Amino acid sequence: MSDILIDDRIRDWVFLPIIIVMFMIQMFRGLLTKYMDNRKTAQKVTSKAQVAEMIDKNITQQSQRLARLHGLLPDQSFKMKRAYLCDHEQGILTKASQKPAKDPMQSMSMMNPVAMADMLKQNLSGIVFMALQYQWVSYFFSGFVIGKVPFPLTQKFRTMLQRGVDVQNLDVRYISSISIYFVLLFGGLQKIQQLMFGDDTDEFVDDTQMQMQMQMMGMPTMPSFGQQNDPGKLFIAERTRLEGVKHTFELNKSSDKALKSLKRFLIQ
Amino acid sequence: MEEPKIELDDLEVNQERLKQNTIQLKNLRVYGSLNAGIIAGILGMDGWIGIGIYVAIFLIVSACLAIKMNFKVKEYFKSSYDAYYSGIGTDLLLFLMIWVIFHNLVNIL
Repeated sequence: MSDILIDDRIRDWVFLPIIIVMFMIQMFRGLLTKYMDNRKTAQKVTSKAQVAEMIDKNITQQSQRLARLHGLLPDQSFKMKRAYLCDHEQGILTKASQKPAKDPMQSMSMMNPVAMADMLKQNLSGIVFMALQYQWVSYFFSGFVIGKVPFPLTQKFRTMLQRGVDVQNLDVRYISSISIYFVLLFGGLQKIQQLMFGDDTDEFVDDTQMQMQMQMMGMPTMPSFGQQNDPGKLFIAERTRLEGVKHTFELNKSSDKALKSLKRFLIQ
Repeated sequence: MEEPKIELDDLEVNQERLKQNTIQLKNLRVYGSLNAGIIAGILGMDGWIGIGIYVAIFLIVSACLAIKMNFKVKEYFKSSYDAYYSGIGTDLLLFLMIWVIFHNLVNIL
């Protein structure tokens, strides 16, 4: 199979423009989310359902904190806190777990206009741009070969990499422009953007990448993860976890630890 | 890089310094894979040799990190596996992207 000679003009007018445009759209997306984040105002808790939601969330946070940091409390305090949460009749967790399971429609928080606006914003700055770029690339730049991948691939990749080019015997290493789009998309223009812009865009970037991957795998993304249809189970799980905690007050071990770290320090 | 005072204790929360160190390490690895991609692309490497270059440059970066830390990994990171070997897969896609781009720019188009 002899090498194909690709015209210079393809490089000037296709390859480089795709890269430059995708990079710019990436940066624009970053700035857009920064702008939208700045304009987000604090959410006011307006409805009673939201208050109940917040209370549940706080209860779970409290029990998780207790389970995590129990070593900081002396025995009596820990027992008191645990009894407050887990007592058979009066503990908060037992009371909460006896509440009926929430209506699944309501617990989706799609009814909440603020959360809906949030979801729309995330979708806008994520999926819409992706779809837009895909359409742009496949409309303008389809039907010809744009480059070559440096590694050998099997025939199975032919449909993915050579979309629009119908030459049967063409080496699978020759790729069409839509595959450059995919390479750039998954390759992580975000990381280069992070290098250039510092760590401000850190949390946002991880979020959309994760969200994109999750949506591609077909799982629906829920904006609020704690919304389960049966909060009773959650509380029961928390309760069993707390009851199983073996509590030791760390102060009792502290003199040994101090000795150990002093030794380490002196040895250096 | 700053030195985190990590104590061998399940209650102890690692300080902000560990986070700063890992951010620096991530940046370093991104630079490393960028350079590896450019080298592999310009030299026209093919197939598995290219991936070998990526692994080689990754290990060189880890070695330079070790020299900079004077080989005392525990003072700067949680474990030597963490600092040297852990992120090799995450930057592989970045390397592939840069490799494809530069290979095409220099050798083919």
